[in-house]
Amino acid sequence: MNLDAGITGIIMGGVLSLPVLGIAVIYGMTGITNFAVGTIGVFCTFMTWHFLSQGALLGILVGLAASFGIGYVIQWFLLTPISEKGGDSTLFFIVTMCLGMVFTGFTRVLFPRPDISLLLPRMGTVSIMGVTTSGLKIFAFFFALSALGLIRLSERHTSVGKSWRATSQNLKLAKIVGINTARVFALASATGCMLAFVGAVFWAALYNVNLMSGWNLTFLGFIIAVVGGIGNIWGGMLSALVMGMVMSYSGHILGGMWQSVVLYCIVILVLIIAPRGILGSERSL
Amino acid sequence: MLKVSGLTVNYGATSALKNVDFYAYQGEIVGLAGPNGAGKTTLLETIAGFLKPREGEIHLLDRRIDGLSVLQRRMMGMVLVPQEGNVFPDMTVRENLDVGAILSHKDIRERLIDETYQLFPILHKRATQFAVTLSGGEQRMLALGIGLVSNASILLIDEPSTGLAPKMVTRLFETLDAIKESTGKTIVLSEQNIGVTEIADRVFGIEAGEIRFCENTENLDSEAVRDLYLGK
Repeated sequence: MNLDAGITGIIMGGVLSLPVLGIAVIYGMTGITNFAVGTIGVFCTFMTWHFLSQGALLGILVGLAASFGIGYVIQWFLLTPISEKGGDSTLFFIVTMCLGMVFTGFTRVLFPRPDISLLLPRMGTVSIMGVTTSGLKIFAFFFALSALGLIRLSERHTSVGKSWRATSQNLKLAKIVGINTARVFALASATGCMLAFVGAVFWAALYNVNLMSGWNLTFLGFIIAVVGGIGNIWGGMLSALVMGMVMSYSGHILGGMWQSVVLYCIVILVLIIAPRGILGSERSL
Repeated sequence: MLKVSGLTVNYGATSALKNVDFYAYQGEIVGLAGPNGAGKTTLLETIAGFLKPREGEIHLLDRRIDGLSVLQRRMMGMVLVPQEGNVFPDMTVRENLDVGAILSHKDIRERLIDETYQLFPILHKRATQFAVTLSGGEQRMLALGIGLVSNASILLIDEPSTGLAPKMVTRLFETLDAIKESTGKTIVLSEQNIGVTEIADRVFGIEAGEIRFCENTENLDSEAVRDLYLGK
């Protein structure tokens, strides 16, 4: 049972790390805490569900394109202009919460269903140390790891990645050398929303998602990101895995009702000991 | 090449620049001398596009640019080397130069970086070192290197000698003179250090946001310079 809970926890952490990565990418780059990320991811997951009858690939491509487009557009036309006019974190909190409400409303109006579960192509089962788990769960976990590795590799070795790092380290100098920082911000937002979408798709395939799932993903994602060190991609990944294990083991040992009690007590404890997160924030809140 | 006329810039109710006229021709080093708080940085940042003037015009290559963004001005061949925050701290020296030359084609980028390494051999030696680990003087060289690899035709350099030892300042000014001679770039150099008069073709004296004098270096009145820094 313990090993089973451990594997479930790691996989849950892996799936959760996707929206956390999304939040980390957006915050690390733009300095904006975007509370609409989860609801955008869930809205696009409902779109995928809508198109699923015409093929899983088409459904996922529609969701990817929609999450990328929405992320790009809200950053380009809304959040960057607010930032350039001197918008502070309170204003961004209000604006992105409102955006989250807008996308929750869109989901309710366009897809009038209480919850959905995505039926993705079966990937068989995998046996790890005597514990059998679905191939999709393993795929989700390795997808999250690969996404993190890909982001880190592209940051180091591509021209686009270097301009991302430059923008996050010194915005003024990035503008001076000729980096189109508005485009970098928009791409970061688009990537973040896309990662949240993929996380929500896995969640919908493994469990189910409803109208509130976007908010749950956002808040859980933010808490995990803060515990890892907000903006710190490795910290976010590590924190997601630890939190996944905490949720899984507390659920197994104490029962589902105690999951959130244990989780949030640990969060408070970690933040008292390390206010900038386990691996330290790459920006200050 | 660069012409600023009637420039007024306010910070809230306070005037930082008042009706400033300024110009620089191609291939010149133009000094902008004045004490701390005179308005040198404000003038350079306004020319570069970070501050919006309340009144006045800025022309570059006969085109009015005061309505253009920082990026558009950069595309026209102008680059600012700021006094502070002038490197990417968690990137290596080589990566800093790569990013500095981001608008250039790969072949041209390599050539520009090689030329910069020749001017500042220490940067070549420190190529794989993170910028944050460099000494103050090395960071200034890297900042200048970033400006140089940008392949801009006009460099606005804000107080490059601040915090440097006198020997380093002399070397820095010699290097800037060499850059002008070898590249034909226009350099606008703001300085508190009076040594700027030794390499500049022309010097503008600025105090309390107003231009006090503009003289070719050979005609420069040492009394006027002294009054600028010490007051009458």
